[in-house]
Amino acid sequence: MPRDLGRPDGARVTELARDAEWQRLDSRMLLVHPIRELIRFLPAIIVIALGSAASGGEKWQLIGVGIPVALGVMRYLTTSFRINGGRIELKRGLLNRHVLSTPVDRVRTVDLTSSPIHRVLGLTKVRIGTGTASTSDEDRIDLDGLPLDRARRLRTELLQRSSADDAVAPAAAAPDTPVLTFDPAWLRFAPLTGTGVVIGAAALGAGSQLLQTVGFWEWFDWDSLDAPGLSLAVLIPLLVLALLVVVSALAIVGYAVTNWGFRLTRDRVASTWHLTRGLITTRETTIDDDRLAGANVSEPLGLRLAGGARLSAIVTGLGRGQQGSSVLVPPAPRAVVEEVAGEILDSPEPLSAPLTRHGPRATRRRWTRALVPACVLAAAVASPVALNGPRWLLVGVLAVPVAALLARDRVRSLGHTLVAGYLVARSGSLVRRRRILEIDHVIGWNLRATWFQRRAGLTTLVATTAGGNQAVEVLDVPDDEAIRVAHAALPELVAQFSASG
Amino acid sequence: MTLREPSQRVSPRARLMWTVETLVQAVVLTVVPVVLVGPMDLFDVPWWAWPLWALVLLSYVAVVPSWRYLVHRWEVTDTAVYTQTGWWTRERRIAPMSRIQTVDHVEGAIARLFGLATVTVTTASAAGALEISGLDKEVARRLVDDLTVKADAVEGDAT
Repeated sequence: MPRDLGRPDGARVTELARDAEWQRLDSRMLLVHPIRELIRFLPAIIVIALGSAASGGEKWQLIGVGIPVALGVMRYLTTSFRINGGRIELKRGLLNRHVLSTPVDRVRTVDLTSSPIHRVLGLTKVRIGTGTASTSDEDRIDLDGLPLDRARRLRTELLQRSSADDAVAPAAAAPDTPVLTFDPAWLRFAPLTGTGVVIGAAALGAGSQLLQTVGFWEWFDWDSLDAPGLSLAVLIPLLVLALLVVVSALAIVGYAVTNWGFRLTRDRVASTWHLTRGLITTRETTIDDDRLAGANVSEPLGLRLAGGARLSAIVTGLGRGQQGSSVLVPPAPRAVVEEVAGEILDSPEPLSAPLTRHGPRATRRRWTRALVPACVLAAAVASPVALNGPRWLLVGVLAVPVAALLARDRVRSLGHTLVAGYLVARSGSLVRRRRILEIDHVIGWNLRATWFQRRAGLTTLVATTAGGNQAVEVLDVPDDEAIRVAHAALPELVAQFSASG
Repeated sequence: MTLREPSQRVSPRARLMWTVETLVQAVVLTVVPVVLVGPMDLFDVPWWAWPLWALVLLSYVAVVPSWRYLVHRWEVTDTAVYTQTGWWTRERRIAPMSRIQTVDHVEGAIARLFGLATVTVTTASAAGALEISGLDKEVARRLVDDLTVKADAVEGDAT
């Protein structure tokens, strides 16, 4: 039987008690489903409507509109769930009955997502994350359509039950402590991340696709584009500038849509972190403190030059596929990231502590790895030029100084340390990452060395963990330092395999 | 302080198994280019590329299995599993007994010919599985039983 999780006043039936019997989702979903199905079938409906209008308006063809509505009603009628006997069960489907069942104590995250339609009706979609490796939609536990306050209570109770038997009393009057609230000034960082470029490229692709379908390129004639008095030397920079502006604008819009209203709060009683964000579709994520294994500060080059960074969490049981649930700070000033990370990790040290360098051999390795391919490329482009090839190929020689800069920067960022119970490793240049993993969450060590690395006396030390990227890599550490770190972190484990001297 | 090698070697028959495996790879790596260049005529190759390629594949088949045998080692203590695998890239993996989730015993088609088996120990991390291939079938059986008992003795959900 479910443990009594009654509120202090005792009068109110708890959410879990109420959900012990099979029940449908909120009846207001009867409105949401048809609207959503209508939108999905919109192209078909338009075609049908046009067809019926053209063929003299036979009204019966409009029955087509009814199909999506019926589908929506059907979905509502055939979906039900219950939480009983320590299991969450979700039944759905008309022809293929699908019953999904999972133990409550496997619940790792509970996400609430509200699309605009949901928001108007005061509903939300509850996604219960169990850290399953399956990526199929079929295997997700989505309770699509619960009233917002009910969903929030359900979330609290689910997470309390799953966070083991520490028997925390249900939140009496513990207001969430805000840790971070959105500042519109952060929008300035949006164009400096990769997302702007991705959005821009997607928009360009979609645009050209559209132009192609419309048949734009057939009647478009480059020769007719005789811009009055503008030479190519003016036109190209102008175009590049315009492109930059467009991409930046898209990036800012994209950033605002996902992150507007970003709010991170901490509930000390239930020891959870709540995160709310989104301009149009709002999203609430809750992360259990016990499952928070560490954090990841990443600084793409542009962001780093502008003094920004972003922070994500390493959450046990949340893999690469669910990165969305683990954002802790969107691109924001570095000071903000450091403050939040300090709060999350209960210590500012993992971010501020000086890092141990990896020494001259690791430095040399960075340089050879950057310069050898660049020199090969330079030689490959220089030889045709020497044989009367086109001059512009010489641009390829620029690869050498670029590689040198990259190598220098990579050397500078390389470092690691053990501090305040955390393993900290930093590396990278184009995207510099500082990975911070709690030692209690290290579930094994991998020491990897290629023949070249062995000759240089270097090892890549990998701490494996059950969340995030599944591992934290300390690149090219001198052999003895790698063992020292592994030993200092987990002494009993490593000591039995070590030979002194 | 240095890390010593794991104490146990895999079965000497593993060299034969790996030789067969590399031979199969070499055959594939010969047939594919031959088909691409010959019947399909996708690109031209100078004549000397063929003996060069043959030399590369031959040395691969000749060297890699023995190299692998020299590297592959394993050890199980009461509290941990320690493996060393690879040839060009050597990888040492240590997992505490308390973090072990599953123990797999697999006999592949080629491994079966030589009475060998592979034991894979997984942890909650996708990056942390320990694989010991080329074990004598009997040794592998006993290892699995041993690991199951030892891993059971430790409490916790291993994450």
